[in-house]
Amino acid sequence: MLPIVAYTDKLTVAPGETLAVMASSFGARQYRADLRRIIQGDTNPQGPGYKDHLIPLDLGGPRPAVAKGFHPGSCVIVPGQGMLADLRAFTLAVVMRPTLLDGRERTLIALPGFARIGIDATDRVFAETGGTRLTTNGAATVGTWRMVSLSCSPDGHLTLAVSVETDAGGRDLDPETVCADMAPLPCHASEILIAATRGDDGRPTGFFDGKIDRPALFATVVPHDLLRRLLADFTRLSRFAGLRAAWDFSLRMTTQAICDISPWRLDGHLRNAPARAMTGWLWQGQELDWKKRPDLYSAIHFHATDMHDAGWEVDFTLTLPHDLKSGVYAVRLVPDEDETAAYYCVFALRPPRGRTTGNTVAFLFPTCSYLAYANHRLGMDVPGTEIGMGRAVELDRHHMFLQANPGIGFSVYEVHDDGSGVFHTSRLRPIVDLQPKVKSFLGGHGSNIWQFNADTHILGWLDAIGQDCDVITDEDLHAEGMRLLQRYNVVITGTHPEYHTRAMIEALQGFTDRGGRLMYLGGNGFYWVVSFSDDTPGLMECRRSEAGIRPWEPGHGQFFHAFTGEYGGLWRRNGRPPNHLCGVGMSSQGFDISEPYVVSPAAADPRVSFIFEGVGQGARIGDFGLSGGGAAGLEVDRADPSQGTPAHALVLGSSTRHTDIYLMTPEDLLDPTPEWSGTQADIIRADLTFFETHGGGAVFSTGSIAWAGAMAWNGYDNEIAAITANVLRRFDNPAPFRVPQGTTD
Amino acid sequence: MSRYRIDTTDLPFAREFLASPIGYHSPGLQRVLNLMRGAPSAGGSAEPFKYVLVIEERYSRWRLGRLPLRRGAPVELVADVVYTDLIEAERDLFRRRWKDLTGTDPAA
Repeated sequence: MLPIVAYTDKLTVAPGETLAVMASSFGARQYRADLRRIIQGDTNPQGPGYKDHLIPLDLGGPRPAVAKGFHPGSCVIVPGQGMLADLRAFTLAVVMRPTLLDGRERTLIALPGFARIGIDATDRVFAETGGTRLTTNGAATVGTWRMVSLSCSPDGHLTLAVSVETDAGGRDLDPETVCADMAPLPCHASEILIAATRGDDGRPTGFFDGKIDRPALFATVVPHDLLRRLLADFTRLSRFAGLRAAWDFSLRMTTQAICDISPWRLDGHLRNAPARAMTGWLWQGQELDWKKRPDLYSAIHFHATDMHDAGWEVDFTLTLPHDLKSGVYAVRLVPDEDETAAYYCVFALRPPRGRTTGNTVAFLFPTCSYLAYANHRLGMDVPGTEIGMGRAVELDRHHMFLQANPGIGFSVYEVHDDGSGVFHTSRLRPIVDLQPKVKSFLGGHGSNIWQFNADTHILGWLDAIGQDCDVITDEDLHAEGMRLLQRYNVVITGTHPEYHTRAMIEALQGFTDRGGRLMYLGGNGFYWVVSFSDDTPGLMECRRSEAGIRPWEPGHGQFFHAFTGEYGGLWRRNGRPPNHLCGVGMSSQGFDISEPYVVSPAAADPRVSFIFEGVGQGARIGDFGLSGGGAAGLEVDRADPSQGTPAHALVLGSSTRHTDIYLMTPEDLLDPTPEWSGTQADIIRADLTFFETHGGGAVFSTGSIAWAGAMAWNGYDNEIAAITANVLRRFDNPAPFRVPQGTTD
Repeated sequence: MSRYRIDTTDLPFAREFLASPIGYHSPGLQRVLNLMRGAPSAGGSAEPFKYVLVIEERYSRWRLGRLPLRRGAPVELVADVVYTDLIEAERDLFRRRWKDLTGTDPAA
């Protein structure tokens, strides 16, 4: 498997800036590190050959490889701030809705060392304090809200009460209560944990899978029926004299902060980024947007499998030399002198922040899409993936590592163990599929590589034609927008730039509107809405609402992102269809074989003569390639005026058939009938598309992930590479493009 | 879970697959493959699994593996089954699955 894995504190860094490297041993005793510029990562013998360059930067000698491991699981941690020591009488309360009960004991709320409420291995609610443990007869059940309280009187009378919260709100509470007496004990707890407790090793443990709403602590006994009225009205609750803390999860939902509404202000923070802006105990469909009724979104959905920050100690840092040119680099860690087991921490060396490099071409390194797929397990967790691949599942070494280490955290393609979708993905942990050489599930018959490694077909081509370019990342684009893009004549995308923030989409649109040239060398681009949290760098949110090819839905009433309040889902449903930006939009996918484009009459239009210059123009182009054997495939986009493709756009060629693994997307398949497959439906195709913009810019879109695999065919010596080079040469010429006369869009 | 069940009328599709494992397939063969590839196998193992190809050397050498459906469970390598050709591996997986599902050998 992987004897050592690692991550850097950033995926983008400028010359002169410092990068921190965090590594953990998974069998290695020691390692040495070097810095490599990654040129071409595909090791397929049919391909152009693996290529990287050693950068002469001393990263020190051998270092011991220390095992650090993964510690997933989310919870709230509230420092006690000295406000717990005087608890004589108390009531602890939560409203909870489990989503997974699987024979593991789980904690709902704890004052570690003093009191705790949880669910035991037989699904019974329990409470313990002072060595006394109370357990209900009734079992908790998945999907049902229950209010749970543990109260202790000054003379040590304990009551555990559990009531079912049905939809019939007018019904009297009929809680199950369990009582006992004990000798009162002083409280030595120094903190409160919600959805976990503190383990013997000092780490949170006993994680809860499910929602918790309105947890509270009182310095008095609160009867269960009064508790229900108090928790249902947080506005009044804050003035209740016996209240010590009540955490309103609907406050500061865009952050990782937790707010106490009591005057004691026992605020806390989240660990491992559980899902916020989630429907709470009182949500009955009254509102679907949390921004309008945040009080109904007072729940957090916790998971034992949440992972945000691996939190490993820094092994070493490196400062990138000022004279190192922008590009894709990797800190390579070689464990125990075994070069074949080397781990690559890939990152982008972006251009300097304050000055231009003189490069007029930029490669947009799609870190949002890399994050979306980070450590994805599609071929492992989803049996049907093999149907969509049309081939057997291959497990590379990093897949074996993922299978053995699910604690590394998931991509937004997975579900948690409770079946709910993974909303968050983070770069503050190793991303084992963000490496050169690695194979994937979805890359098609041939090289079978995906995302970063597939994108190195483009990086390798740029190197082969001697094209200097800056590498900028999605995060750079998100933060700097047009201020960054204005440096360039041309922006080149990766093979599958699927995930974008609004700031990124708007910057790219602004770029082409103002004369910029966009080369979209991929498929299924600009598809999903994602957002970053200003509060929590490195974390990305995605909620797959309503449509799109998606592995899960966010749940009723939970379609709006917590980080930004944006409506999640497809950009097509958010006023930014990909067709408008790049002329084409997602049409279909299949991961077996690819096809050529059949050249259309529009290819003879003088507006695009530069594209085919020197290219022998047969009836078909791209009947070869490393990604499925053709230039059009894997995920394919079509031009569609109804989705915003400009009327003057030229479709230069189209794939004219695909296998029946290629089916319609849900957003287009309004009425499922059996003819929507690759051998039957005309709209399942990739359209090679070009158009000019009114600002003098232009857009060239391949509408196919497999395009780059064809560019790399025959050592980059082929018609697809030649066409791409022709486009780049003209696009890099500042002479403005002209929209044909009479064009109004 | 597929409701389709393979029987002897599917034998022409087995021959079609073995002749050309990857690419365009007849609707009948696609239906057989949908069942085989979407469902776990139970043959010779205590818990349901999927057959996978575990890479020993990229693009040249694979082991046959049994991937349990349970996340985090170890992948079991099938003893003495090594492939040096992906197409041959596809054929072998097909034959194994056919036998698991029907009790017979498709080539028999």
